[in-house]
Amino acid sequence: MPIFRRPPTLAPLGEEGARAGGAAPVWGAVLDAAALARLAELDPKGKAGLVARVVTTYTQSLGKLLEQLTVARTAGDANALRHVAHTLKSSSASVGALQLSGLCADIERKVRDRQTDGLDAQLEEMLREGARVLAALRAGTAGPQRLS
Amino acid sequence: MNDTSSSAADVPATEDRPHVLLVDDDDVNLMLTAIALRERGFEVIEASGGEAALEQLEQIAPDLIVLDAMMPGIDGFETCQRLRHRAGYAQVPVLMLTGLDDDASIERAYSAGATDFFVKSMQWSLLAGRLRYMLRASRTRVELERSKFKLARAQDLARMGSFDWRRGNGLGHLWLSPEAMRVLGRGQAERVDVRGLLRMVGAAQRRGLIRMVSEVVAHNAVLATDVSVMLFDGRQRIIHVEAEAEFEHGHAVGYTGVFQDVTDRRVAEDRIRHLANFDALTGLPNRRQLIWRTERALEQARRLNHNAALLLIDLDRFKNVNDTLGHAAGDELLMEVARRLRACVRHSEQVMEGALEAAGSRSHRTLEAVGRLGGDEFVALLPEVGDEADAQRVAARVLESLREPIFVAGQECFCTASVGIAMFPRDGLNLVDLMRNSDVAMYAAKSAGRNVATAYSAHLGGRGRDKIELESHLHKAIEREELVLHYQPKIDVRSAKMVGVEALMRWQRGGVLVPPGDFIPLAEETGLIVPLSEWAVKEAARQARIWQQSFGFSDSIAVNLPSRLFERSDLVENIHQSVSAYGVPHKAIQLEITENNLMKDLHNVSLSLHRLNEIGVEISIDDFGTGYSSLAYLTTLPISELKIDRSFVRDLGITPQSSAVVSAIIALARSLGLRVIAEGVENLRQMEVLHRLGCVVMQGFLFSKPLPPDDLELWLQQTMLPRKAPWIGVVRDTDGSLPRLGRA
Repeated sequence: MPIFRRPPTLAPLGEEGARAGGAAPVWGAVLDAAALARLAELDPKGKAGLVARVVTTYTQSLGKLLEQLTVARTAGDANALRHVAHTLKSSSASVGALQLSGLCADIERKVRDRQTDGLDAQLEEMLREGARVLAALRAGTAGPQRLS
Repeated sequence: MNDTSSSAADVPATEDRPHVLLVDDDDVNLMLTAIALRERGFEVIEASGGEAALEQLEQIAPDLIVLDAMMPGIDGFETCQRLRHRAGYAQVPVLMLTGLDDDASIERAYSAGATDFFVKSMQWSLLAGRLRYMLRASRTRVELERSKFKLARAQDLARMGSFDWRRGNGLGHLWLSPEAMRVLGRGQAERVDVRGLLRMVGAAQRRGLIRMVSEVVAHNAVLATDVSVMLFDGRQRIIHVEAEAEFEHGHAVGYTGVFQDVTDRRVAEDRIRHLANFDALTGLPNRRQLIWRTERALEQARRLNHNAALLLIDLDRFKNVNDTLGHAAGDELLMEVARRLRACVRHSEQVMEGALEAAGSRSHRTLEAVGRLGGDEFVALLPEVGDEADAQRVAARVLESLREPIFVAGQECFCTASVGIAMFPRDGLNLVDLMRNSDVAMYAAKSAGRNVATAYSAHLGGRGRDKIELESHLHKAIEREELVLHYQPKIDVRSAKMVGVEALMRWQRGGVLVPPGDFIPLAEETGLIVPLSEWAVKEAARQARIWQQSFGFSDSIAVNLPSRLFERSDLVENIHQSVSAYGVPHKAIQLEITENNLMKDLHNVSLSLHRLNEIGVEISIDDFGTGYSSLAYLTTLPISELKIDRSFVRDLGITPQSSAVVSAIIALARSLGLRVIAEGVENLRQMEVLHRLGCVVMQGFLFSKPLPPDDLELWLQQTMLPRKAPWIGVVRDTDGSLPRLGRA
């Protein structure tokens, strides 16, 4: 007996995006469509406006973590660096910011293994990519349709 | 954000859904995981870090906990460790979320007490599946723990514990559960081996036990036996051992079973058996046990063709002891009597049901016993006697054993018995006949003056039946109006006047007048005395009214009442109603109570006496001087009159002691301001002595026997008025004037 209900088909992103307030095209530029589709799977009927809410949460979290990253980098706090990379790794993967997630995974491993090799350049790139994603998401959610 | 949880409207109600505490510092992951789990039927409580989670646990009790391993502050490992130390969280399943390639975290997770780990991913169904599996496992485990606990508890309550024994070198290996250790009175840390167990068994029993167990084990048979053991603390207990052989691959490897302390049950069983078969007071076999023994004895006597005897032993006047010295003293006396009677036969305390056959042809001898039927009735069962003379010899022993006084309640009591003997087969072939006939013989012994043994004979049987018949007729005597009162005048010898009468009950039965001695004791015995006495009071009141009208009778009619009537709360009311019904004053009725009766129940009677006195009913003490009583009551009870017992009157002028007693009574009465009257005055000499000693009111055949009411009137007219009696004029008023004529 199957325990879980599985949505029969994936909800098309366009529909989900439209329901979320028309920001989809902007997100699409930085977020992976497949990942977004998986998110939409969580809320098959779209009742909860889930994707939009996750993106909003991610946007807030991302902003906060990027600031922490800057501080940690300046202070040379390896633990803080690792924590930011770890957290951003999984949440970015969740929403489909795959490039950022990949960068985070590399950085996390390097910090854990105490490899400083090219770490700085990667941190630089992570900040840049993070800022790009953040800008794109903010542009998409800052409008009047932004969920409260 | 709350509406997220309602996205799955068709999942079970909140309380049926498993509660998950989800802990993750990453808001996105927290949110996503929560949504995914809610969607899959979980109730999710979110916590954004270790501190928050531990705080939450103060308020809620989740069914399981999902912890992100990597968190700032208190991380997942630390959180897990801490919550495991919380009361109630030792067993809650905890799932640790780790990174994909993080083997070190997995190790750490387990050592921190996590139940399982799960690699963070977006595979929500896998996560939910894992959680469900963990829940199920946890519930199964909890149930197992619970039933293990229940079993241990049940075993403890049942004073039971399990053991395992494995064959091995020497005596093999023994394993005892903690409960079994408790049964044996040992601590859990101690070790007990087979040798240790055997040492607990008494040496006498040990050899037999070893032989029996070896036999059982050799056949892989079921072991079930009760063993009497001495625990290490010295307590003697009975342990029930029950075990079955265990096999592995077809080979017997040992035994598994239980020990149970069955001492209490055994004791209770023995006690129940004893209570059912033995008299609680004396410890003798009771009626039930006697019947059982007698039936067995008769079976044997029939088979082996010999005589048996049943002796019914009834204590004489035991009721007096109970009544005067109290029930405690009565019980004490019965115990001593039981002890003495037991010594009169070859008394066997216990008869095992199975032992009878085993003991062979003389086994019925073990049935011999003295038992207590109840009250003051005992039975001696003699399962085999040569002839009646044998039974008589035992009866004589019984009487002899009671000859010595018994010391109870600080005084010596003489407690004789009357013994009735019935012989099998001569006087009856079965228990019922033998019991009845021994009863008949016993009553004959009582009639013969007590303290004797009488064997049954057919002639006695007739008298026994008479008695039963008498009793049943006495029951109907009142309604058939067969009872009458006769009246004996009380005379003031100075004035030659009748100053009152005593009413005496007679039973007119089919034209024959039954003497009071033949039915009053029976009435006392059966309790019929109560309605009889009540009738007597009413009848006396009626007579007082008739005489009042016919010759102006204004004295009292004295009615004898047994003490038990004085104990009745309705006595005063009854008397009041009786006199009211006939319109005579209360003082028309005087009550006589014997001194013995009064002393028996002084406490219960005194209230009634006071109330009666208040309404004008006078109390007279009958048979005064015969009781062994303190005279103190005379000053505290409202008594009007003392009646000197006829035995003193009879001996007046014959023995100097009797006149000493009489003058003492008179002096006593005078000093207390009581009237004194002499009963049983039969001749002039007695009258003269009494008068000289200062007693002027008398009653007796010298004046008149008890008369039916009409005859009394006649007697007054024909004897008193004409002053024709020989006693009139013999004595003079102390004031010297001539005796006056009877009152108008």
